Amino acid sequence: MSKTAEAHSLAREPRVKDALDHARAAAQELHGALSDAAAKRGGAIKADLESVPTKARAIAESIGSSLGAQNAAAKQSLAEAATYLQATAAHATEALKSSGRAAETSIQRAITDARTSVQKISEAVAAKRSAAPTLQLKK
Amino acid sequence: MRNFVAIVFDQKEKAYKGLHELWQLDEAADITVHGTAVVHRDDWGRFEVDTKETHPVFATAVGVGIGALLGALAGPAGAAIGAASGALIGGAVDLDRSDTRQRAVVETEFVLGRGQSAVIADVSEDWNSAIETRMRALGGTVHRHSRSSLQGDAAAADGFYPYDDYLYPYEYVPSRYTPYYGW
Repeated sequence: MSKTAEAHSLAREPRVKDALDHARAAAQELHGALSDAAAKRGGAIKADLESVPTKARAIAESIGSSLGAQNAAAKQSLAEAATYLQATAAHATEALKSSGRAAETSIQRAITDARTSVQKISEAVAAKRSAAPTLQLKK
Repeated sequence: MRNFVAIVFDQKEKAYKGLHELWQLDEAADITVHGTAVVHRDDWGRFEVDTKETHPVFATAVGVGIGALLGALAGPAGAAIGAASGALIGGAVDLDRSDTRQRAVVETEFVLGRGQSAVIADVSEDWNSAIETRMRALGGTVHRHSRSSLQGDAAAADGFYPYDDYLYPYEYVPSRYTPYYGW
């Protein structure tokens, strides 16, 4: 098999997910849950929001613990992602403590911050992928 | 390289297949997808973005962002017009001149014609061939614009840059399209 064909074959093998992939998936899920909750009303929103602050902080902590293994560009994006996740948690907490227009505003801010956190993690993923060798040939 | 892409299809179901394939490319680490949305233009020229968010401010932001992007892909003069056209989706901003509305329809149709659907995406890609090959196989046409050039244009103009934060950061398929999805 040629080196190019071998590299292509290796690239098609199932990819093992790392901590960054799991953090990204968790943040995507968080944004999905928040935007689903926003479409509901009253008590149903609050029930859905209750777990958001805990989840957001858990993802932020997970990101923090994986920083050491990342390159400089990824670290920068992940640090920003953690900040946005903490903000998501804070806005969700505010929404739980308020009602009416104030709660709605807090939920929208939580959604915006959650979306930005996912994008920052995705930027870290892209930085990591770009830095990885393009050809991983078998010895 | 970070790019915005619009992948245009003649059928809605193909657009959802394209959306799925795009996220599959991300799953395989061939590209990194930062966000996606699917937009349709009906036979009367109006376009609709598939979104689950009902907040009017968000709906307007989505419309402005996607309209501006379609305009930017159509050409340098199209960006502001596209943004204005996109804002009509949210309903919070209106154009007061019918000729301007008509021009917006014409300009953005250069990319997305009547009856067509498109996947809009913000992606990081080290080479273009991954998306080109997969989407061409589905019958899609790929339009591409670098993110940095859009940022540069915004800096040179009035700072108007509506492209971030309006795309879903994961694969979102509205329930009404699930029959098309996943085959």
